[in-house]
Amino acid sequence: MKFVRAAAEEVIGLFVGDWSQTAITVVLLAAGWLVLSRLHVSGLSFLLALALAVQLVFATVAEARRARRKEATSQR
Amino acid sequence: MYAQLLTFGAAFLGSAVESVEALTIVLAVGLTRGWRAPLYGTVTALVLLGLLVAFFGQLIVTRVPDLTLKLIIGTLLVLFGLRWLHKAVLRSAGVVAMHDEDRAFQATVSSLQERRQARDWVGFTLALKGVFLEGLEVVFIVIAVGGTSRGLGVAVAGGILAMIVVAAIGLVVRKPLAMVPENTLKYAVGVVLTSIGTFWAAEGMGVAWPLDFVSIAILLAVYLAASRAAIALIRRPAPA
Repeated sequence: MKFVRAAAEEVIGLFVGDWSQTAITVVLLAAGWLVLSRLHVSGLSFLLALALAVQLVFATVAEARRARRKEATSQR
Repeated sequence: MYAQLLTFGAAFLGSAVESVEALTIVLAVGLTRGWRAPLYGTVTALVLLGLLVAFFGQLIVTRVPDLTLKLIIGTLLVLFGLRWLHKAVLRSAGVVAMHDEDRAFQATVSSLQERRQARDWVGFTLALKGVFLEGLEVVFIVIAVGGTSRGLGVAVAGGILAMIVVAAIGLVVRKPLAMVPENTLKYAVGVVLTSIGTFWAAEGMGVAWPLDFVSIAILLAVYLAASRAAIALIRRPAPA
């Protein structure tokens, strides 16, 4: 049972590290799907990639700030 | 040809990284408790992983329509790749500690020494669990990059070759492969998988990319630049 639970956690963990980042990524992809599947403009797909890239920058910088704040609080 | 190379490369690199981590566990168990149980555990895990690739690989290649497959696998690849990239950025910026195979090896050895009185199935289970759980990521990468590009055979070959190379090196040196630049490899695989995922997800949405597969090179540049920018922003000292 432990093994099955560990495997299930591993499978979820393949795609989800931070739930908020995952949610934002899914929202961006869903928005991209809504727009691209209707307009079929090829260059627009690069906008989707840019949005995902910007999201990566924001998510990592925010997590780094959280980690530093936590570290500073624990050192006090 | 370009697509096949990309498929092979992504499967090879992804499998290499996970094989290094699995090797550390198997070595720790083997050197502490003897080789028979961990080898049985490893073989059992590899058979289970092979069955997963054969079952899901065939299922998605034969049953799922092309556009649906690209959309689903593309979305999952983006999530998977961004998770690796996210972690690699934080490690490169010094926020999260680098993965250390020597430390992982010592942790496994000491946990086994605490349980020396237990029966030998502990060694079997630990090796089985370690190889199977690390291998799940390889299974996903192989099915995702191979199934969507209709190059499952190429992806499987890349995955297996990486496993053989890592196992052979492990057999010779008989210690964790701490010198393998795991973070750099994960960083590279994260960038590649996110780019491939974005490419396929958009194709699944019904859009053709301007330069077809060559667009992946532009996507690689976009994600690489974004991750470097994130590292630079994180490393920048906070204003006083």
